[in-house]
Amino acid sequence: MTDQPDVQLRLPAENAYVSVLRMTTAGLAARLDFTLDDIEDLRMAVGEACALVLDGAAPEGKLSVGFDLDEGSMRVTVAADSADEATPDTETFAWQVLTALGNDLEAGTVEGQKSVSFSVSTSVVASS
Amino acid sequence: MSSPLSRAGDIRTTKEASAELFAALAVAEDDGDRSRLRDDLVRLHLPLVEHCARRFQNRGEPLDDLVQVGTIGLIKAVDRFDAERGVEFSTYATPTIVGEIKRYFRDKGWAIRVPRRLQELRMSIGAATSELSQQLGRAPTPREIAGRLGITVEEVMEGVESANAYSTLSLDAGDNSDDGVSTMLDSLGEDDEALEHVEIRESIKPLLEALPPREKRILLLRFFRGMTQSQIAAEIGVSQMHVSRLLSRTLESLREGLEAG
Repeated sequence: MTDQPDVQLRLPAENAYVSVLRMTTAGLAARLDFTLDDIEDLRMAVGEACALVLDGAAPEGKLSVGFDLDEGSMRVTVAADSADEATPDTETFAWQVLTALGNDLEAGTVEGQKSVSFSVSTSVVASS
Repeated sequence: MSSPLSRAGDIRTTKEASAELFAALAVAEDDGDRSRLRDDLVRLHLPLVEHCARRFQNRGEPLDDLVQVGTIGLIKAVDRFDAERGVEFSTYATPTIVGEIKRYFRDKGWAIRVPRRLQELRMSIGAATSELSQQLGRAPTPREIAGRLGITVEEVMEGVESANAYSTLSLDAGDNSDDGVSTMLDSLGEDDEALEHVEIRESIKPLLEALPPREKRILLLRFFRGMTQSQIAAEIGVSQMHVSRLLSRTLESLREGLEAG
């Protein structure tokens, strides 16, 4: 079970689709045995990450999301076509919240896309 | 506050006036007279409607609206009332008025109500969650809840999802409901756009200070002590779902505050 396939998702870069993404993320986390608390945090984190990358997103752009799944943990990368070529603003409230919810945060611009990634893991102890 | 119906003297006059009007209505020949008498009867019994509507106050609907639908019930009652039966009009009209108000709540609630199946699912998930949290010393996973309830992980997620939908909608309903429906999601992007121009740290301090003590405490426990929502729930003595809701609301209000600043 160690070599789980990654999951990729492409959505319109619009706020309305963030809820779809949150639901999908919650579904994946449930498969990885995250606790309800973890899932709740993850949903919030995904929302904040989207707020960061969708800020200044190109109209008609794409929101691409990648999930690297592992046993009891996942790394989420959220990227959106950016109109202003700026890196996600790490001085924002959204970023502050994200640092509290996820680990190993990264923010950057790759090929005209604003991207934010972070890792989360379940609070179920592996041995149990 | 002092409805005319609460004073005995007025009740008698209302009764008498009502009986007279109905008697006149029964023998009225032309349409003009009938319609005038009908109007008088409706006007005469409006305090009864108000009285009934008050019983449904504090249920999230403006009293004016309730009086309005109650009045529809009253008009129906006036039209259907048969004085020959020897029943007081107020006795006859009250169930019709109340029925109309209840129907209003039923129809109104329909659009936002979660199906009964999901409501029950949500409740059993809530119960299983608190039980398992105690046994495990942490929040349970959906799989653990599914095992306890004998349902699938998907069904658990469906229940959790419906709980979120429920809270989102009730948050919306609480606020300015008449200038268009906007969900929390709708405001996310826009809020952050404005945040670019804000000196974040400095402007958030007064906002944090202004938070109610409980909200401030939850925020502190969550983001500075790194406690989970379940732990906070236990500490504060409310449900995890409530903590989740309070957190979302607090974050949202901070966001709004920052935007306004």
